[in-house]
Amino acid sequence: MFYLSKIEHTLPLPAPQLSRPIREAIHTELEKLFLDKVIANLGLCVSVYDIKSIEGGFIYPGDGAPTYTVVFNLIMFRPFVGEIMTAKLLSSDADGLRLSLGFFDDIYVPLQHLPSPNEFKAESKNSTKGTWYWKYEEQSYPVDDSDMIKFRIQNVTYPSIPVEQPKESKPFAPMLVTGSIDHDGLGPVSWWPGQEEDAEEEEEETAAEE
Amino acid sequence: MKILEANNGALTNFEVLDFLRAKGASKDPTRVLAKVAQSEYKVYDYLIDTAARDQTRESINEFLESVESHDLAKAEILNIINIRPTNIVEIFPIIECCDTRFSDEELTEIVEIVKRTLPPPPEDANGAEPTKSNGEEGGEQMETS
Repeated sequence: MFYLSKIEHTLPLPAPQLSRPIREAIHTELEKLFLDKVIANLGLCVSVYDIKSIEGGFIYPGDGAPTYTVVFNLIMFRPFVGEIMTAKLLSSDADGLRLSLGFFDDIYVPLQHLPSPNEFKAESKNSTKGTWYWKYEEQSYPVDDSDMIKFRIQNVTYPSIPVEQPKESKPFAPMLVTGSIDHDGLGPVSWWPGQEEDAEEEEEETAAEE
Repeated sequence: MKILEANNGALTNFEVLDFLRAKGASKDPTRVLAKVAQSEYKVYDYLIDTAARDQTRESINEFLESVESHDLAKAEILNIINIRPTNIVEIFPIIECCDTRFSDEELTEIVEIVKRTLPPPPEDANGAEPTKSNGEEGGEQMETS
């Protein structure tokens, strides 16, 4: 889920920061620049891990701020394909589910990655929102927000920034994660009892999947 | 900006949680005084509700040593540490080609190693899932927490 990435960056240190010890000041500047931002193919930056080296400090003509070349490590959130994670259900509609990790909301589980056979019950006649049910052995198991949902990462994409967007469309997501819950042990945590004493229920569920 | 090394090492949830704790993140009201950003706090809040909360360096090292004899890929070991599966059903999605690579007994053995070396995940604040019969496991978790 989390990786360290070594980055080199050249940045000016604004004059108000110059009274602070240099490591701290550069740390704050790096945080302002990178925290909570997505870097293409690297992921979402969670934190500045450490600073490896600071060089430079030259002041370019006409500029009041010294420019430093810094080498540092960033903690990136980059899920790999095949990773298993738990997340909360954010919304569910006819196209599938949307899950959230708290710090990252663009996780979608589209229609084809839901366990089948399944059924969608819309909330009301005109709304696209509703609840998905998994029909298994005469029982309908709902996918709702009462507990965490375990899912498997299918795909991570970094769509390029669109030049223009139609007014009503969803805010642009620089990092899109596609998940799947179509497998043993995935889906809401309550579907799969944790106790080995409940072996009967477990066996039935795994036997049918196989 | 130049990317020197895109992958300078994978981190377990525990290591990230440890790093944030060292920075001063915590659950209680003193959190506003720590030099931890809002977005970092969101990560902290997410991680504190996972199995990583009660893990320690020693328990993870112990787990790594015990599981060395089994043929698990690095990514699978990372997943297992992050999720802490308690039974075979939970291990199925983690390991690729599970049925062909491991027999049922080996899987039970791996689950036993997990249960023995890694501390159990924190119990849900809302109470355990309704389908679970909270016999022994509920009791154990109550004692450790």
